[in-house]
Amino acid sequence: MTLFFKEKKSLIILIALILAQFILISIQLPGGSERNYFEKAVFSIFSPIQHGIVSFFRSIGNLWKNYFALRHVQSQNQEMKEQIFFLRQENNLLQNALQKFRTEKEIQDGLLEVHKNILLAEIIGLDVSNFFKSAIINRGSIHGIRKDMVVLDEKGNLVGRVISPISLREARIQLITDNESGVGVFSQLKGVSGVLAGDGNGMCSFKYVLATNKDIREGEGVLTSGREGIFPSGIKVGKIVSIAKDTSLFKEIKVEPYFDIRRLERVAVIMKEPTEIF
Amino acid sequence: MRDFIKVCLGIIIAIFLYTSLSKFLPRLIYLLNLFSLVVIYFAIKKDEIFGACLGASCGLIQDSLSLGVFGVAGLSKTITGFLAGYVSKKIDLLSFLRLFIFIFVLLSIEFILWALLSSLIFSERISLGKGLILFQPLSTAFVGSLIFYMLGATKIKT
Repeated sequence: MTLFFKEKKSLIILIALILAQFILISIQLPGGSERNYFEKAVFSIFSPIQHGIVSFFRSIGNLWKNYFALRHVQSQNQEMKEQIFFLRQENNLLQNALQKFRTEKEIQDGLLEVHKNILLAEIIGLDVSNFFKSAIINRGSIHGIRKDMVVLDEKGNLVGRVISPISLREARIQLITDNESGVGVFSQLKGVSGVLAGDGNGMCSFKYVLATNKDIREGEGVLTSGREGIFPSGIKVGKIVSIAKDTSLFKEIKVEPYFDIRRLERVAVIMKEPTEIF
Repeated sequence: MRDFIKVCLGIIIAIFLYTSLSKFLPRLIYLLNLFSLVVIYFAIKKDEIFGACLGASCGLIQDSLSLGVFGVAGLSKTITGFLAGYVSKKIDLLSFLRLFIFIFVLLSIEFILWALLSSLIFSERISLGKGLILFQPLSTAFVGSLIFYMLGATKIKT
């Protein structure tokens, strides 16, 4: 018996490892998208390593970048001043528009709340199997990150939402380009509503628009409708790039998201729903 | 202890390269399976048990850093690691071409296993990256055999 085990040691270990992983996979089945404790533990161990590696090399890169940045600082400063000028104008106009519905104090309090509830985060890693699926940010439960918080890019376009696992200082976000993501949306011009799902290749599909619908056009913007109860309504999502007739009841509409995964370095996590703030 | 440090270093390099490549050359990620190269390298250097255990660990790390079924990469890399360690003891891998074919066959098996598990059993749509991922075994095998050849990965065995 001992001789048998000695001879077949490697095969037994292989079978044990395979079985262990099959058990691990089968544990996930009842939970669906809910992550198991083992995965959460592995994520909690390796995401800080990834965080550390990225931070180390980013700081080296930043030293070099800062040296060059210094040389352009004056022109950049001028550009930013101009941008601030226009943003202030925009802000004033929006505040004036809001005053029709709210008092000035209510608006000021609301804006302060908005400012307090936006958390700046950096992308420290993309999905290793498909970078259009998910990303990891350098903020976690210690910073108040919770599941389903909305994530926007620097320009306020929708990127995705926080999903589990969330470790102390890192969290995973599901991108809207993931094929398992679903966002309630409507078209900007005529308000045609549907569901936006990712295709896993960087684009999205605007689903469930009837083939007979003539109110939707190429080039039109797409906004969140808030119907799924996770994303607040009115966030910019993307632009319709093609509309084709499907063999089914519905149109085949391709949407290009506004956020660019390659330029995605900083994101804003909305700590509260804007409806809770305003 | 030295082996453990080497393995950790290998995994850290794979994570770093992956993170950097995904930022600067995102399409290259579809062409290179860096974690599998780490597994095959150490499996050739050590044995099939080490290869299987490292394959399981690397696969689970890869699964934890991605959104999908946790354990799919773990399972396919376990088999790759085992096969790499076992077969490398039986054949001569000194020539570049043999090494290339060996890695290519291993990676093809791993890719087929991973795709089968993901798409057939778990009905998860796999991203083909505009067909680029189909070239992954070939390109990874080429890069891997170049690196292994330079590092002399097959010297100890023969």
